[in-house]
Amino acid sequence: MKAIEISNLTVNLNSLEVLKNINLSLDEGKFIGIVGPNGGGKTTLLRVILGLIKPSSGNVLVFGSHPEVVLRKGNTFGYLPQILKIKPNFPIRVVDVVMMGRYGKIGMLRWPKERDMEKALEYLSIMGMEELKNKPFGQLSGGQQQRASIARALAGEPRILILDEPNTGIDVIGQEDFYHLLNGLRKKINITIVMASHDIGAITSYVDEIACLNYTFHYHGNPLGALNETILTELYGKNVDVLMHTDICDKCERLRRG
Amino acid sequence: MQKAFLVGIIVSLISGIISVFVVLRRMSFIGAGISHAAFGGVAIGFFTGINPTITAIFFSIAIALGIEFVSRKGKVSEDASIGIFFASSMALGIVLISLSRNYNIDLFGYLFGNILAISDREVFLSFILAVFVIGGIVLFLKEIFITAYNEEIAQVSGISVRAINILFLILLSVSIVISIKIVGIILISALLVIPGATAQLFAKNLHIMIATSCVVAVLSTVLGLLISYELDIAPGGSIVLTATAVFLVSLLFKKRG
Repeated sequence: MKAIEISNLTVNLNSLEVLKNINLSLDEGKFIGIVGPNGGGKTTLLRVILGLIKPSSGNVLVFGSHPEVVLRKGNTFGYLPQILKIKPNFPIRVVDVVMMGRYGKIGMLRWPKERDMEKALEYLSIMGMEELKNKPFGQLSGGQQQRASIARALAGEPRILILDEPNTGIDVIGQEDFYHLLNGLRKKINITIVMASHDIGAITSYVDEIACLNYTFHYHGNPLGALNETILTELYGKNVDVLMHTDICDKCERLRRG
Repeated sequence: MQKAFLVGIIVSLISGIISVFVVLRRMSFIGAGISHAAFGGVAIGFFTGINPTITAIFFSIAIALGIEFVSRKGKVSEDASIGIFFASSMALGIVLISLSRNYNIDLFGYLFGNILAISDREVFLSFILAVFVIGGIVLFLKEIFITAYNEEIAQVSGISVRAINILFLILLSVSIVISIKIVGIILISALLVIPGATAQLFAKNLHIMIATSCVVAVLSTVLGLLISYELDIAPGGSIVLTATAVFLVSLLFKKRG
């Protein structure tokens, strides 16, 4: 069974066509990067997969079921939204935020147990935030809040991890650690990862597949294939300049010249 | 006298707990709206001869759900729907009262509180309703909490945000109605806001916020009642002014520290 199967998906929001003719098939355990400009529909696509937005037409299946059904079960998805709207002075500590990621697994009418606290602390420490566990969440810096929120998305050990621009507020070194962490996690718990990012360069080194999205898919396949001037121009518009800071740089130079 | 304190403590405990979530979910205006809608419910009770507390509960719940329904559909903003519903409920109440020609002390008691006229049956009823409210909050504590934190994250955890919102509105409506006898319809909204707002100044996590809010509510009620006996002033007003004083002192404390 595929983790995600999308066929002929179209999404209209407020009478605007946001996604058109999307087709995607993703195996379980794979890590796919969805890249593209802001406003191109990345967030919308992620939210359709999550079951938060209904398709206007087309079919979406997550592990063979409709996304809303999977959403209701509560223990399949881990989600990091792009912008987290949190009320200031909300009485919650970092460890409580991460604990929320376990609620789906705990279920209704049940209380968190020791094991849930162990898992919450485990993922907090994996994200390097263990020392801040009792600090009020609102007092953290943007990058720290992001890391705590990632720990929250992971704490439930979901089957599918949906990350919307997870690198916001995290420096380059932090990003590399994060990708290593994700790859380590994949070996441990066979997690399927869908990550949306406008940072095409960094992502290409770590993902199995890349899909270039701007209203429709302009490319889907091997990451290196996306570093192609034609595709990038179609995706981002004219005058695209690719700047990369990885060891794929040489290839990139050759691609740009040739 | 004893009954007043007993019901006062029950009511203030409930207010303390509910107030935390009214403040966190930014529902102070809805709370005020439902309180005024309760007036319409009470009037229906007078008009039909049914126990006003019962009619108030059902009518308040209906108004609360009406507000939720209308604002969810999106055509009218939430604060506008609250304004419309609460004003019309009050108007309905005024019309019904004038029709029944029953301008008796009872009405005054419902508007401003009448702790001296609390019957044993009412004490018992308050207790049962309080158990219902506390039970609802305790059973669904983490769901209500995560929905207040962020609705999308709550949805992804498998929670039906709409069901939780409706549950909370029902618990809120019941809490409001049981508070009517102590502080009266006009002032209930103060008890829904002040304890939670005071607690939020200091609380670092949910359990501390709930405990602090309950302490503030019970303290204000007990002190307020004592002061009202000593100085022979309206108990409802006395309780709310005491709560306000507690809030202001806490605010000063917070600014200094």
